[in-house]
Amino acid sequence: MSRNYVLARVGVTLVMALAATLVVFLVAHFIPVDPVQAQLGDLASSKPEIVARYRAHWGLDKPLWEQYLIFLQRLSRGDLGQSIATRRSVLDDIKQYAPATFELATLAILLAFSVGVPLGVLAAIKRDSWLDHLARGTSLVGVAAPTFWLAFIALALFYGGLEIAPSPGRLDAGAAPPPQVTGLYLIDSLAAGDLRTFGNALGHLLLPSIVLAATTTGVITRTTRASMLDTLGQDYIRTARAKGVRERAVLLRHALRNALIPIFTLGGVAYAQLLSGAVMTETIFAFPGMGRYAFQSAVVLDFPAISGMTLVVGLTYLIVNLVVDLSYAAIDPRVVRR
Amino acid sequence: MNRGDGIQRLRVAALILGVASALLFTAWGGGHAIAGAKTILILGTDISDTNSLDPQRQFVYSAPITEHAVYETLVTMTPGNYKDVKPLLATRWETVDNGGALVFHLRPNVKFVTGNPLTADDVKFTFERLKYLKDDASALAENIARVDVIDPLTVKVTLDDKTQPLLPFLIAPNFGIVDSKVVREQGGLSTPDADKNDKATTYLDQRSVGTGPYTLARWSRSTEIELVRNPNYWRQPGAFERVLIRHIPDSATQVLQLKRGDIDAALNLTFDQLNALGGTPAISIVKGQSLDFMYIAFTSSPALSPPLSNKLARQALMYAIDYDGIIKGLIGGDAIRPASFIPVGLGGSTTDLTREFGYRQDLEKARALLSQAGYPNGFSFDLSYGSGADVGGVSYEVVAQKVQADLARVKIQANLKPMEQGNLRTAFRKGDLAATITFWNPDAMDPSLWADPTVQRVAKRVRWEPDPSIVSLVKQANGEPNTQKRDGLYVQFQKLLSDQANLCVLFQPMYSHAIRDSITGYQLTAAGWQADLYDVKPR
Repeated sequence: MSRNYVLARVGVTLVMALAATLVVFLVAHFIPVDPVQAQLGDLASSKPEIVARYRAHWGLDKPLWEQYLIFLQRLSRGDLGQSIATRRSVLDDIKQYAPATFELATLAILLAFSVGVPLGVLAAIKRDSWLDHLARGTSLVGVAAPTFWLAFIALALFYGGLEIAPSPGRLDAGAAPPPQVTGLYLIDSLAAGDLRTFGNALGHLLLPSIVLAATTTGVITRTTRASMLDTLGQDYIRTARAKGVRERAVLLRHALRNALIPIFTLGGVAYAQLLSGAVMTETIFAFPGMGRYAFQSAVVLDFPAISGMTLVVGLTYLIVNLVVDLSYAAIDPRVVRR
Repeated sequence: MNRGDGIQRLRVAALILGVASALLFTAWGGGHAIAGAKTILILGTDISDTNSLDPQRQFVYSAPITEHAVYETLVTMTPGNYKDVKPLLATRWETVDNGGALVFHLRPNVKFVTGNPLTADDVKFTFERLKYLKDDASALAENIARVDVIDPLTVKVTLDDKTQPLLPFLIAPNFGIVDSKVVREQGGLSTPDADKNDKATTYLDQRSVGTGPYTLARWSRSTEIELVRNPNYWRQPGAFERVLIRHIPDSATQVLQLKRGDIDAALNLTFDQLNALGGTPAISIVKGQSLDFMYIAFTSSPALSPPLSNKLARQALMYAIDYDGIIKGLIGGDAIRPASFIPVGLGGSTTDLTREFGYRQDLEKARALLSQAGYPNGFSFDLSYGSGADVGGVSYEVVAQKVQADLARVKIQANLKPMEQGNLRTAFRKGDLAATITFWNPDAMDPSLWADPTVQRVAKRVRWEPDPSIVSLVKQANGEPNTQKRDGLYVQFQKLLSDQANLCVLFQPMYSHAIRDSITGYQLTAAGWQADLYDVKPR
């Protein structure tokens, strides 16, 4: 995989992310909602002076092309503009909400891989055994159960009923967050040497990340199983076994490694989705993340926030896909030679 | 190593993962429940709409409970009594210049949390800053022409239009007095260019500079607001060392947290959840009459709906609706209903008046009116409402379905049109909808804030051109100094508005919060800040 290839991939996806902001910008302006009416109170919305100041302040009195141009100019300076709903820099909003989602999604995808891949491999090796049925059954439940339902059931059972899970939120009530460096409580608390806050934050992350991981785990289990079954049926596996290669090496080096490419592709997309679309989990677990921020911005037609989030989600997909593509080279050397 | 070893290792890995998860739960699972501690009050509520804690800028639903605890106004109102204005930072006041101005005498020896004394300069700065920020809340100060400092403890507020009242507006947390010295230091302005050059909001979003019993220690957006006791408070200090307002957007999660004792009060529960909590040990439901209501706005525009442009047809609709069924069946009786567009509790509006001239279900009368209107076989129209939202614990959708079923009994077909809220608000405010189920809640506590819009901006939304006599009746009522006479004029106005049949008030709900028995003194108010946290004490 050459450097030019990587640069070209980055360039194309950046252009696509920008194009997506244009599409979102246009769509948002053509739907029949007036952001001033969506934001201002009933009384203020009837006062022409307040309405005019509001439009001017948020640049809504300018032609559409000019509004978009201003957005691009700001973007070139690393400024995503100011959110109409939260009244502060979109970048500040994203800086606040992104770490919560990043921690949640990362733990969820790690859990999904840690459980999904071994389970899928076991199910493939022990095809049609009770273990296979169990793996297929649980993955089916994971895929089929609606996240909001699963989230609430998990919370009601482990927090409300068994009382072994901590309360919703990123930390216990009244617990001060660690001094902000990255915004990731796990990292920041460790950096500050504050193990109590680290434990507090990890405990609060566990249940929502398990819930968030459920669907992805199901999909990864099923894909791993299918991919492994396909690989285990290949001639080279039979040849390897015939040559007396140890079973561990057959499974891990020959079969699993070849089966991993579709799993990584799927995992990459799933991770990007987790980063941008965990609205229900964030709502039920009172997790102040990007999913809810994006949702609330869309509801009140907060143009700067919507455009900013589109760009961030686009970039997230870019980075994740790039990492996945690069990982192909590590898994399968033939990708580099192509 | 054989094939079995590989499987064994995978099993071991899965086992380790399971054990690690279990350990994590047991190690940190219990959390540190601090609600119920006598030094900390914890409220669970949805604060996602809080976008500023600058008292002169915030204008959303969830912020005032915080603002009222950290800032104080010149005057206030007590829960349940929305007629009598009570002293707070002003001990007394008088009307001067033939009703064109009010002079307020400030309470002596009051200090801000900053340690600076409260003076008339602070009042002048606060009121002028609110006016000149030209933000959402500035509409409340529109009638203030000028503010003059008479002496350090006396301030004169001159009105633009002396027929419009001022006192009931001044109870709003947006008139919370700030320490002008500190706000100026932080870039705050009270001059006409404040809308462009005021820089104090960033500071005021993290620190409060008021005279209230508590002070803002920390606001983490969509997470938590932390208040601590104000050491300089002029009355008995606040009962709690800290108050935490936790963001819990999901009401079912609020129920779980309340039951676990992790919060002392849950503020956003639905009617069903409140019902289910009835009889739960250590939990009680606190109720308070609101001044909000859900209503249907029917257009007068023949272009939008020829039948609805006919007053008799609109009256027929209003006689066909089963109001008691909505109140008893959909919200468990936790609501009342005013006769017209002034809520019970203000402007002489009572439930007796509703019985006297308000609409009630009378299907025979509805059918007779339909025949008179030229629609003996009924008609159809589009009924719009916001999807995914509720009022008083009942969704617009459920109410719309009930209204649809009621109207079908007199052969009127309501075509239900759920719309996204922003979309609905835009179309409704432009007057583009035939019939809309929507909601009214007050910006301040004066009946003029209900009566005025009905002949002005709301009239435009239903394409009604009110007769000049009605407009002048409203103006006369707004400016009438004698309360009894004023109430009489508003009743007269309500009768005319009711006959016009553009605005059909369905119900005026109760507010309901669920609290634990760890606290006492928790009372709900309709005045705009949900509850006064100063009154809440540990049990």
